[in-house]
Amino acid sequence: MVALSILLRLRLLLRSLAIQGSFNYRTMQGAGIGFALIPVLVRLHRGDGASLAESLRRHTRFYNGHPYLSTVAIAAVARMESEQENAEEIERFKGAIVSPLGSIGDRLVWARWRPLCSLLALLLFLAGAPWWVACAAFLVLYNAVHFGLRVWGLHLGWREGHEVGRALMGSPLRRLPDRLTIPLAAVAGALLPLLAVGLGGTSGAGSLSVIGIALVLGVVGAWRPAVAGRLAVFVPLIASLVVVALGSTVW
Amino acid sequence: MISRPIVAGPVAGLLLGDPEAGFWAGAVLEVLSLRQLPVGASRYWDTGPAAVAATAVFVPTGGPLALLVAVGFGVMVGWLGSWSVHLTRHLNARLVATEGRVAVTPMWLTVRHLAAMAVDLLRAAIITFLAVWALPRTAVGMAGLPRLGDAVATLILLVSASLMLGVDVRTMARDRQTWAAFGVGAVLTAILVLWLR
Repeated sequence: MVALSILLRLRLLLRSLAIQGSFNYRTMQGAGIGFALIPVLVRLHRGDGASLAESLRRHTRFYNGHPYLSTVAIAAVARMESEQENAEEIERFKGAIVSPLGSIGDRLVWARWRPLCSLLALLLFLAGAPWWVACAAFLVLYNAVHFGLRVWGLHLGWREGHEVGRALMGSPLRRLPDRLTIPLAAVAGALLPLLAVGLGGTSGAGSLSVIGIALVLGVVGAWRPAVAGRLAVFVPLIASLVVVALGSTVW
Repeated sequence: MISRPIVAGPVAGLLLGDPEAGFWAGAVLEVLSLRQLPVGASRYWDTGPAAVAATAVFVPTGGPLALLVAVGFGVMVGWLGSWSVHLTRHLNARLVATEGRVAVTPMWLTVRHLAAMAVDLLRAAIITFLAVWALPRTAVGMAGLPRLGDAVATLILLVSASLMLGVDVRTMARDRQTWAAFGVGAVLTAILVLWLR
């Protein structure tokens, strides 16, 4: 078995950052996984071009997990390859690990952590922090989890190999999205009055009315999400088109 | 993550001389794009060029009406960007296809993969260029706008942002605890804001 040195770990980690570089509708992140595995595969198949080519061909087939948790699959596959496990077994493993990695990552990162970081940054700004503090807070907070997940995934994948699916199911990551729901809802609620006053820029009775409007609309959005989501996008879009059209013809 | 509107907006604003205005343009776009989730092979707004374009519209003019036009312009650029991403994904499928190849070498894969990334960079640059090229038309449209429109523009932005925050909470969960957290956050902050003012 090839040793996963610090340098090799770093190379896998850096290459995992580019996993979506050639994202496409046929193999999705397949070429990205192959690209990330190159350092390990080259080492394992040194002096045997034909088996390296065959191995690369296999690893550029379909794969589509969450990009931040791709290190779990990359490291587990690297270990399976280094233990010379059966090629079909490795392909089956890749096919099986896609769903849990996608599901956990999408719920945790895209649906919870990213909105939470964005809204917290916005909250900071509206509470009076300078713009650069809000930006820095977003980048630091978001990327702490982003890179944390990648490093953790690399470690877990290499340690567990083809058993990583079981380890993943028992990890706290599965329950984390549910735990982030309450803070995210509270921050979204807290933003309503702040955003209302920030956009409205009024004081006294004016503040009360814009805050009231924002609170009612927030409830309406939550009550009828499908219609409200479309309205929230199309109304400013159409209004801005009308403004530009009128501005250039009438006024 | 520097392509998120909340970062791309102020950075573009910094280049144009008003990062705070850029933050506002980015912030509204950020809230409107909260539910644009890049899951699976879904298509979603290209928020980086969208935020840059919105900031470029908002910074020179300022005011609620300009912010409304900037957000509308940003949404259009975001959509245009999502279509361009769709096209590059088709192109990538050909670029990294291994069918019919005798040997897939590390060099071949590396070159193809990096070429796909270069194409994406070029795509984003073209979208941003097109958006900036279209800017004078938007500016002409806004040139004669009466200040009367500011109140209406503020109301529209308020409606959009508030609705989308509600939508975001609803799409996460529908249980009582989530609703309670949303309500407590809103009411406590409202009291605090009114008390401080």
